[in-house]
Amino acid sequence: MTQTSIRDMLYESPGPKAKKRIRFFTGLALILLAALLALVIRQFAVTGQFAEKYWSFFARFTTWRFLGEGLLTTLEAALTGSAIAFILGFLLMRGKLRRNRILRAVSTALIEFTRGVPTLLFIYFFFLVVPKTGWKPSAFWKITLPCAISACGVVAEALRSGVNAVPRGQTEAALSLGLTETRLFYKVVFPQAFRFVIPSLIAELVIVLKDTTFAYIVTCADLMQNAKVLISNYDAMLSVYLVVAVIYILINYLLNKISDRLALKLRRTAAEGSKA
Amino acid sequence: MSIQALLTEYGDKYLQALLTTWRLTVISFAAAFLIGIVITVLRVCPIRPLRMFGDFYVQIFRNIPGAALLILLVYALPYLQIIFPYDACVLIATILIPSAFCSEHLMSGMNTISPGQIEAARALGLTFFQMIRRIIIPQALRSTVLPMTNLLVATMLTTSLASQVPMRPRDLTGLVSYINTRAAGGVAAFVISAALYCATALVIGAVGSLIDRKVRILR
Amino acid sequence: MSQSETPVIELKNVNKHFGDLHVLQDVSLSVKKGEVVVIIGPSGSGKSTLCRTINRLETIDSGEILIEGEPVPQEGRKLAELRSRIGMVFQSFNLFAHMSILDNLTLAPVDVLKIPRKEAREEAMKLLERVGVADQAKKVPAQLSGGQQQRAAIARALAMHPKAMLFDEPTSALDPEMIGEVLSVMTELASEGMTMLIVTHEMNFARQVADRVIFMDGGKIIEENTPDAFFEHPASERAQNFLKTIRDH
Repeated sequence: MTQTSIRDMLYESPGPKAKKRIRFFTGLALILLAALLALVIRQFAVTGQFAEKYWSFFARFTTWRFLGEGLLTTLEAALTGSAIAFILGFLLMRGKLRRNRILRAVSTALIEFTRGVPTLLFIYFFFLVVPKTGWKPSAFWKITLPCAISACGVVAEALRSGVNAVPRGQTEAALSLGLTETRLFYKVVFPQAFRFVIPSLIAELVIVLKDTTFAYIVTCADLMQNAKVLISNYDAMLSVYLVVAVIYILINYLLNKISDRLALKLRRTAAEGSKA
Repeated sequence: MSIQALLTEYGDKYLQALLTTWRLTVISFAAAFLIGIVITVLRVCPIRPLRMFGDFYVQIFRNIPGAALLILLVYALPYLQIIFPYDACVLIATILIPSAFCSEHLMSGMNTISPGQIEAARALGLTFFQMIRRIIIPQALRSTVLPMTNLLVATMLTTSLASQVPMRPRDLTGLVSYINTRAAGGVAAFVISAALYCATALVIGAVGSLIDRKVRILR
Repeated sequence: MSQSETPVIELKNVNKHFGDLHVLQDVSLSVKKGEVVVIIGPSGSGKSTLCRTINRLETIDSGEILIEGEPVPQEGRKLAELRSRIGMVFQSFNLFAHMSILDNLTLAPVDVLKIPRKEAREEAMKLLERVGVADQAKKVPAQLSGGQQQRAAIARALAMHPKAMLFDEPTSALDPEMIGEVLSVMTELASEGMTMLIVTHEMNFARQVADRVIFMDGGKIIEENTPDAFFEHPASERAQNFLKTIRDH
């Protein structure tokens, strides 16, 4: 049988009166939503935002190539940032699971610190303070590094919960076979933990991607920054920002969908495993 | 500048900024929670268009970057003759985004309830609203304490969007960029703000897990 | 005397489909006051669905279901009121996870029947005593064994003073060593004159407590007889095969 979600269980199969009521309110809701849509369209029309000059350049290949270049930088920054966040997060997770008390305390503090401070603060740090130290990273790194740092604590916690989800019995079995603890971790524990946390790593990628929209602060030519250039070229603020917002939403939606799918699949295999 | 020098010169500004961040966080979270509940009610109701609207709402605000939403509100909406003051724009953004996540948490909180319990409630003769009040809401809320705690921290982090508009009084992030562009605040200026953010997050986290331990449902 | 002749539960020509599947085909049956009727049959025979249509946890496509001579209301307060008079015990216990066992028992009496809380608590403790889990009253369901949970669930249903009890495979989810304790509670209930409709796979139990056995297969009632007659001389070939496979196990 398919999984029944609470959505379909909460209301029981309607009787005749309830059926009538549902029909009535479905009609009413449709009318209201249509009215809302009409209101939005009217506002666009009244303010002249449907004018051809605001939209015609979207028919040009160069517009999309330019936005595409920006998007590429955005994705590059997001993927690089996530990769760095993964490495840092992995180190922090290893540190937090160590017996050494100092190492554990430092790791915990760093995790809590990166989780409790907004990305923007890290970005301003790289924008305002870092260049004064003499190290002058490029705009790309000025947005990518703070996003990575901001994400690494969350990644560390995700990895840690993955490691903790690996059944104890397995580690005991492996230890009794004479594996050293380090080999045990890399051969047995981590590969499984990694599978558990892939969905949350993808969800983290979404967060990093969202954070990269602050690239305009450090004038890195990402999607948002290129949108600004388009706007000044065509004097089309609303249309360009709307299109760009939709692009962001679609990409993140897609990534979240993939993450949800994988999570569901993992849960299914786990359920089957426990049944067998 | 040392931390001490900064605090003597900007101490009251930091206090004001901290209070501003707190205020934005509390208002945003409270409003997001209420909207999240309403959206969740829409998403589970038997009226299909409302369900779809609720799903659509969540997907939009769960996936839009905060900066993109804020820019739309501040710069693009005026072209539709919809003009909000800066602080309203910030609040709208810091309410809408967490409200989508709030609804997601509530949905997964409800999904921890086994359908059998709903049947049992029905079989005992509980009316729909009795079932919602006595079975659904208590369990959904109790199993979402930790996600909601995280959401409160996330909301606080989102309020740093306030630094992107000329809003007065400044929030903790806005103050840092202000100090750094005026004087050489350096690392110290960041450390103070970061410490205040962190301390708030730690307190929220501690209270959250305390509550969670009290109300967690054994399954 | 006509009142005592009105069956507590009566189904007339009930039909139900799940998509293309015709899960209940022209099913008619009645349960008199104080009668214990056991429904058996292979899985997928529709016996569980039948049990669940009686308090409208499943809807039906056609036919009639009467409780004490009145048709089951289709929605609203009237349906809730009817359900409050019919006790139901599920395969997976379905105790409310966030409440103590005691609160599980008092919730519906207080909220639905408006019995004062104190009175409801006293009554609940008596019921828990009766099913042998009074010492677990303060615990939450997850702290109890399956058998204890199911006995508590029976007590929860009894707390509503039901006119009849429906049991939907009450021991199927239990470990073998816990089945007995639940069945003995049910046996006791039957001996006290409770009207019961039981869907089960426990043949010995069926034979022992049933006034009447109903054999279902493929959404139809194939046979209906006294337990001794049914188990000794099943009339239909399907029932013979079914009993044979059960005994071979």
